[in-house]
Amino acid sequence: MGPALPLGLAYLAFFVAPLLMLVAVSFYADDKLTVLGFDNWRKFLFDSFHWKVVTDTLLLGLKAVCATVLLGLPLALVWRGASPFWQRVLLFVAVMPLLTSVVVRTFAWIVILGREGVVNQLVLGLGLAAEPLRLLQTELGLVISLTQIEMPLLLLPLLSVMARFDPNLLDASASLGASPWRTLFKVVLPLVAPGLAAGALLVFASATTAFISQSVIGGGRLVYLPSLVWQQAMINANWPFAAVVAIVLLVSVSAVIAVIALAGRIAGGRVHGAAA
Amino acid sequence: MTLMSRRAALLGAAALGCAGLTRPAFAAGSVTAAIYPGAWEEAFREHVAPVLKRQHQIDLEMQGLFAVDQVAKFAASRGAPPFDCFVLDPGPRITAIDRGQFERIDINKLANKAQIPAGMADEWGVATGAQVVGIAYNPKKLPRPTGWDDLLKDPWVSKLGLTGFGTTFGTVSLIELAKVFGGSETNVEPVFTEVKKVLGKVAAVGTPAAMPGLFQQGQCDIMYTNTQTVTTLKDRGVDIEFVAPKTGAVSFITTLHIAKGSTNIDNAYKYIDAAISAPVQKALSEAPYFFVPVNRGVALGAGLPMRSLDEMSRFVTHDWAKINPLRAGWIDRFNREMAK
Repeated sequence: MGPALPLGLAYLAFFVAPLLMLVAVSFYADDKLTVLGFDNWRKFLFDSFHWKVVTDTLLLGLKAVCATVLLGLPLALVWRGASPFWQRVLLFVAVMPLLTSVVVRTFAWIVILGREGVVNQLVLGLGLAAEPLRLLQTELGLVISLTQIEMPLLLLPLLSVMARFDPNLLDASASLGASPWRTLFKVVLPLVAPGLAAGALLVFASATTAFISQSVIGGGRLVYLPSLVWQQAMINANWPFAAVVAIVLLVSVSAVIAVIALAGRIAGGRVHGAAA
Repeated sequence: MTLMSRRAALLGAAALGCAGLTRPAFAAGSVTAAIYPGAWEEAFREHVAPVLKRQHQIDLEMQGLFAVDQVAKFAASRGAPPFDCFVLDPGPRITAIDRGQFERIDINKLANKAQIPAGMADEWGVATGAQVVGIAYNPKKLPRPTGWDDLLKDPWVSKLGLTGFGTTFGTVSLIELAKVFGGSETNVEPVFTEVKKVLGKVAAVGTPAAMPGLFQQGQCDIMYTNTQTVTTLKDRGVDIEFVAPKTGAVSFITTLHIAKGSTNIDNAYKYIDAAISAPVQKALSEAPYFFVPVNRGVALGAGLPMRSLDEMSRFVTHDWAKINPLRAGWIDRFNREMAK
């Protein structure tokens, strides 16, 4: 406990205390914080529009997780089979997005996805469409950009688990007559499940709260919880309601994260339990 | 990113409690001014701070705070103001006046008072910059629009970039659009009805901060905005022109105020005086800031729809005491009506 004490105190002062204040603020009924009441909680909970925003936010996170896993897992398998030199190159390429600010990455996607952007020039140039595709300000465009923006968060934990498992297991699987696909599903995936779950968890948490990307790429017609918090706190100056939305965001995202983490532990535990 | 949104929310709550506990010590010869983060902070650091130091040996300490934060932080400080001066747009200014957050200002104490046009100073504060709002379009892609209602007609509507009631310029533009269809300052219902009819055609419904980028990238070729954005984009080589709609361009001012209970009032006056002085206003009106000046002694840039500041009295203005109570409802309505 001794060495952890300073960090613990820092957490208490700068994380737990503000969080408790946030909860306290949510129980004020007026924006001047003078009257206590459940009004803002009622306002949020009994309005289907707000539930749609919660659902859309969580679905956005899940879509980003699916897309990053679908693209990241094959990349991780390629990385595993590559020579040390190519492993380094791939790792660098995978991590590179982290080296630029998220604002820059987000604005880069405007240039790529816009009406006159790279994708549309290609599509129009190849004669695949007569009109520019609408990619910006759609959920599809947002998921595409979040996939690139959040990819390193999936790859880093996945690669570290991928690097650790015993290559003999693959040979053993093959010599016992398993096809490569069977090896993938029965050996590789269960072994990397904890890393995959850890990565998925980070991507989910990051994508659901990606305020800048959501507002810049998503635009004004896609409303997610983070922009609702901003709107209520910074424009309407309704801090109690903003606090309610922030708590809902925290709780709903944490709940999904807990499920992902549990799934990872179960999948990992099954394999490691069987191996023991 | 995870931290960003959470931090923003937490900071808000934390500011409530902490603002009252900590108060920067006012060294002799300093003044603490709240300032909008970003361009305003940079501009004031570059042009106001050196003048204040040179002429009065006063150090300018700036706190980067959005308007809502200034009002909230002051409210939480309970009598010990966290800064000496506010900078506010018309909406938050009314809120702060209602909450008794300003000292009254004696304009006679400002050496530059004669240079400030009528309507740009009152008992509560002095303008430090103006915004002129109208329509901006790409002349290479679209014919010149003449009025607000053109925004919702072909060929403009399919190239239109819309923003909601989240900013002052967005709010006043939508009010003007509502007026064309029979609405008023307190009735923006026609905007929702009319925009809904053409929503499928609208090129972009963006957040205000994203609009210049969307215009630059050709995602939209017409939008409502202020002259500052138009001049900044033009300066970067974007094809963009400002049009004052036939019902008149809209103007509003951003004002400086002295915080109630400030113990540093003399220095606060010197700060305000420096900010509105001709050399500072001239510097702020040039690249890269392009503020609309409030000092008659400053020549107006070519991109502005008036030749003198006094002409601005003919521009359309709004009563934010009436708008403020309705705006949260409009924002909520915009979320719901525009949501996919």
